[in-house]
Amino acid sequence: MFRRRITLTAAALAAASLALAGCTAQSTDQNADAALAVDFDNLVTTTESGTAPVDEVTWNLPYEPMSLDPQFGYNYAENTATANLCESLLRMKPDFSVEPGLASGVTQPDDTTVVYTIRDGVTFWDGTPLTVDDVVYSLDRQVGETATSYFSSYFQNVESVEATGPNEVTVKLTQPDVLFTQAMATAAGAIVQKAAAEAQGEAFGTPDGGLQCTGPFSLEAWNSGKSIELAANPAYWDGAPLASKLSFSFIADESTAVNALRTGEVDGQYFYLPPAGLSQLTDSDEVTVTFGDSLVFWTMMTTNFDGGLGDDRIRQALSLAIDREALTKVVFQGAGIPATTLAGPSYWGYEEEKFAKAFDGFSADPDIEEAKQLVAEAGTVAPIVLAVQGSSAVHEQTANVIQAAGQAIGLDIQTKVIPVEQFGNLYFDPAAREGIDGFFTTQYGSFADPTDVYQMFASTDSHNYAGWDHADDAIFAARAETDEAARADHVIDAQQTITDELPWLPLAYEPVTLVQNDRISGATASFAYLYAPWAATLGGVE
Amino acid sequence: MSAGSYLLRRVGGLLLVLLVTSFLVFGLLYLAPGSPLAFILGPRGGTPEQIAAVTEQYHLDDPFLVRYVAWLGDILHGDLGYSIVYRQDVSTLISGRVPTTLVLVSMAAVIIAVVGILAGTYAALRRGWSDQLTSTLAAVGLSTPSFVVGVALISIFAVTLGWFPTFGSGTGGIDTLHHLTLPAIALSVASAAYLARITRAAVLEESGREHVQTATVRGLAPRYIVRHHVLRNSLVPIVTVLGLTIATLIAGAVVVENVFALDGLGSLLVRAILQRDFAVVQAVILVLVVAFVVVNAVVDFLYTFIDPRIALGSRQ
Repeated sequence: MFRRRITLTAAALAAASLALAGCTAQSTDQNADAALAVDFDNLVTTTESGTAPVDEVTWNLPYEPMSLDPQFGYNYAENTATANLCESLLRMKPDFSVEPGLASGVTQPDDTTVVYTIRDGVTFWDGTPLTVDDVVYSLDRQVGETATSYFSSYFQNVESVEATGPNEVTVKLTQPDVLFTQAMATAAGAIVQKAAAEAQGEAFGTPDGGLQCTGPFSLEAWNSGKSIELAANPAYWDGAPLASKLSFSFIADESTAVNALRTGEVDGQYFYLPPAGLSQLTDSDEVTVTFGDSLVFWTMMTTNFDGGLGDDRIRQALSLAIDREALTKVVFQGAGIPATTLAGPSYWGYEEEKFAKAFDGFSADPDIEEAKQLVAEAGTVAPIVLAVQGSSAVHEQTANVIQAAGQAIGLDIQTKVIPVEQFGNLYFDPAAREGIDGFFTTQYGSFADPTDVYQMFASTDSHNYAGWDHADDAIFAARAETDEAARADHVIDAQQTITDELPWLPLAYEPVTLVQNDRISGATASFAYLYAPWAATLGGVE
Repeated sequence: MSAGSYLLRRVGGLLLVLLVTSFLVFGLLYLAPGSPLAFILGPRGGTPEQIAAVTEQYHLDDPFLVRYVAWLGDILHGDLGYSIVYRQDVSTLISGRVPTTLVLVSMAAVIIAVVGILAGTYAALRRGWSDQLTSTLAAVGLSTPSFVVGVALISIFAVTLGWFPTFGSGTGGIDTLHHLTLPAIALSVASAAYLARITRAAVLEESGREHVQTATVRGLAPRYIVRHHVLRNSLVPIVTVLGLTIATLIAGAVVVENVFALDGLGSLLVRAILQRDFAVVQAVILVLVVAFVVVNAVVDFLYTFIDPRIALGSRQ
């Protein structure tokens, strides 16, 4: 699985105006006084729960969601909204561990059979009870080669989804698949009402249609272009939330969003990359900025192994020449952590010691001498062309850092600016990747298992463009291994190959930047906000 | 020409323009690289089977003319089409955004007209340092991009003083006017400056005309001369420029809409173009063309009031 997350929509919106150029210009002088020191030690997963009821909370999304149907919820704005509306079979806790959700119990009689016991007494917003039919429908619609679900690759090994009892659903797999079982704690495992989804067809989850789920908030209204209004669900099985109303605005322009947060017109927002003008928020008396544990990382992907980046030694040299410490300071205003591997410590949901030991074997420290040595060994190198997304400060500044690193060790690195509206084609269209050796992207795995990240290096994965296949055995073995200790060995094996040969260069781990007005508190601070009801604990501060 | 036949000719012209622009826009979108696939399949991308299924479902591989004719047929049945990116009817998408754009552009038009004409006339009549000052301000206004004005307005009047909201289009009525004040000012600065310069030039020219000199020599009150002889005669170029400016504001508002997070037609259009959402692009373009033609028709009508010698629809 792969997670491309410089969102097309958000980026397109931003690029729609020159305004972005206006805001990025500010960021340079703010870097100077950015004294942020974000580290794994000071990342949090929760904020103090709200204690008082509050009438209305306004939350900003970086762009208007395309759909609220959870099967199309695979991006920041969509998931931020749906996490409070539609619940999954399992619930991802803020620390990324998993607890029962709509399934009160899960058993695996054997490696290819998963049995979910559906929770009693759960009702949809309209009062009808949750049934096994709804669960079967919600999963089954994502199975199959032509399923349009954004999560269909998690369902690739699903053979059948059937109701096997009045409150029991059994999923049969064609082969053991740890990604499927864990994905049930993400939007892939979210349950919608069968009757509503079938009645509304394509309109389900859009402003034209509606939504019918079981979450702590219900969908009141979606005013296309303006706002999405949620109301507290008084009958919520896990206790009604403190906020009676939660409304989402869609401010795409970062400086406008920052201003709206500073004036209190908007009560909060999750940023997946720190916004330009971060210091205006950290310095503000009105809001509190929290950096949360996250699964997002910033990386440089190699798309062409026949060009300048084709030789392993060149990628290794480039990696050694990059000053990641400076990169996180300059590009991410201090709100980033130098990355040594792709799946960082936040992914260690099991066998932590094993992963930590393997992780300690890698370093993010630059070593120019060794890098020069590697370049000398590699001989003549063709110029390296990196695609840079237009109107994106993060892209351009990262490209500058990489170019400087290349120059220091004698590599000719050129950049090719691609307009944001065409940048998305790089992911789909081999013709668009013609003449390009690599590009930058944010990615994330959906849950705390490095298997999900390294899965994208499987030669069969739709995002392994160059057909790099040096870790296939370990990757496939890990996905099919239900024993955690054994799986960790496979993943560490794959990680070793991937981090040695560097088909992708790890650059930075990106924490969640959560901004909350001081009148409220309680939003989940970690990346789990994408998949679990983060606003259920949100309330007023007395 | 009578008002009836004038209207008939205008409507005929409008239909022709609509047909030609829709064909051109459709063709250009078709030729430009990119596809809505990225937005339909989602960030995950898709397997070849999924890509084939979606392409088939939305006829993305059909030849250009087939798609265009299908779209044209729907339009003739009053169906604006379906946004494949947003999975909703284009008519809903558009109707939600028209009011915001309408109010924003109307407010900006009023500001442009009042400020532009007053400042231009003042500069032309007073001359001297006040003319210098107005011209300098106009030059600054013309050369300042609207997003800079917008960001400055937000930081002064919304963040520091707290008089206006920072974003959004409000909940209707007075609230909407309150929300759209800063955006309307940001949108109108450059155009008002432009109109001020046009007005100044027109008033100066008229002031030097013989009939004005005659009136002055005959001892008519300066106020009367300005109102009845100078301004009235300068109004033709002023109204022409004003009409054209307003028509371009509708799509030109996109930058301001983005800065103030407004749900206008401009941002919908730009986003739809980026996403290759053909039906939405076409529908917004249709609205723009209609607005353009209507504004120009209104300007034509105004001409006949300003100068009775001009006949409706004449080529003068």
